[in-house]
Amino acid sequence: MKPDVPLVLQHSFGKLLLEVAPNLTAEYAVGNTSVIGLMMFMSAAEFERGAQLRAEENAEMRAIFEETGGLGLPGDLQKRFGAAAGAREASLLISDLDAENDRLKTLLIELQAALEELDSPPARKLGARIWGFLRQAADKRKLPYPSIG
Amino acid sequence: MEEIAEKFAAYLSHKMPQASAMAVEGISRIHGGASRETYRLTARWQEGGKEVSRPLILRRDPVASLIETERDLEFNAYRAFHPTGVPVPEPLFLETDEKWLERSFFVMEQIEGCQAASPFSPDPYGDLAPKIGPQFFTILGKIAAQDPDAIGLGESMEKPAPEECWKRELDYWEGEIDKDTLIAQPIAKGAIRWLRRNPPPPPKELRVVHGDYRTGNFLFNDAGEIKSILDWEMCHLGDPLEDLAWACDPLWAFENEEKPGGLLPRAEALKLWEEASGLTIDSKAFAWWEIFAMVKGLAIWISAGKEYQAGNNTDPVMALSSWYCTDVHNRLLSKRMQEIAEEDAA
Repeated sequence: MKPDVPLVLQHSFGKLLLEVAPNLTAEYAVGNTSVIGLMMFMSAAEFERGAQLRAEENAEMRAIFEETGGLGLPGDLQKRFGAAAGAREASLLISDLDAENDRLKTLLIELQAALEELDSPPARKLGARIWGFLRQAADKRKLPYPSIG
Repeated sequence: MEEIAEKFAAYLSHKMPQASAMAVEGISRIHGGASRETYRLTARWQEGGKEVSRPLILRRDPVASLIETERDLEFNAYRAFHPTGVPVPEPLFLETDEKWLERSFFVMEQIEGCQAASPFSPDPYGDLAPKIGPQFFTILGKIAAQDPDAIGLGESMEKPAPEECWKRELDYWEGEIDKDTLIAQPIAKGAIRWLRRNPPPPPKELRVVHGDYRTGNFLFNDAGEIKSILDWEMCHLGDPLEDLAWACDPLWAFENEEKPGGLLPRAEALKLWEEASGLTIDSKAFAWWEIFAMVKGLAIWISAGKEYQAGNNTDPVMALSSWYCTDVHNRLLSKRMQEIAEEDAA
């Protein structure tokens, strides 16, 4: 698609904010138009990076699951983490990447809880590594916010 | 909009039998307020041979909301605080009979000549910040200073044991996350487990917690005077530090952790609150409530996203709240939790 989708969304945001909203009279409509424009601005960034971010997060979570050997995890957790570590993406559609991201994050929550129960030095170390990953992933997902005052 | 105006005029005529020729003019919906539909209007009527007009605010229950609360809670809070000197609009009517406007609603005085700032503006108060800031934290301290029984809220609200305040709030908001989340939330869930492992010391006394005291939820005039504290729909009895931590959450200050609300330096804000409330801030408890505030925020944004995705409320602010606020709180909370985890691992 040309012009590029992010460019179209950014220009549309500008038109809504600077040309459409000022000509509306109802306060509620002005507010909604501004919010819709703001979300278009954010969507421009997400369109470009969305698949990459999700694929990177999923790969990093699988790498974390590969590090769980030898921790003495209870039950079948080790087996399930091993299976998750070996999985691959079904496709690069955002919906498929999101579904896998959800599945892996659900497992990650189980791993965090198990590590907290173990409370051993290696468990605390891996727990800190997981928080480092979560912080980094959240930082990478930071949404752009225009300077609109 | 005309239909609501006509129906509301009929309601006012019913509530004020001494009035005649009741008319509702200039009705317009106010943007924001995703927990209630809020309308600004002017009622005009004849009474005792004179024409009377009164600007009013109508707050109607939505079909689906950013937060699920009972409207009588908010109305009772306005009624309790109106005589205390804490600036709130005068509450007028509470109506739960759906025959009038299809959903429950309440009516209150409209505070004229004022504005509410956007909570997501980098500098919401500009040159007025040094004047508004001390009022903002002093009023919050005054709310915390009130004896709930003395102002009539003690009987109408659940009174948790002081040592149970934290658990009641955490249980509720974790329940909201579990019920509404559309994707697994390792940051929120990890923080919740930490909060349960490290409960805060209890408050010395139960106090009224506004529940959403922050940038954007008060009205101020051009002179920088705070004229009204709004949006009491999450009001409850609990630890007053809950309110202070929510007010200081960096989300309401464009992520500035050292200038709560974008208003004034953090140490100054906390000192003003202590002076006005007569309470002393326990630093351990306050740190706990600061982490809790981010979890509570995430719960609200997650629920907003669920309502939007389900098609129950497609107000754009519901989607924006879920996108932007979740993003901010996930970053702030993961940063704090990583710091804690690294201290534990060292």
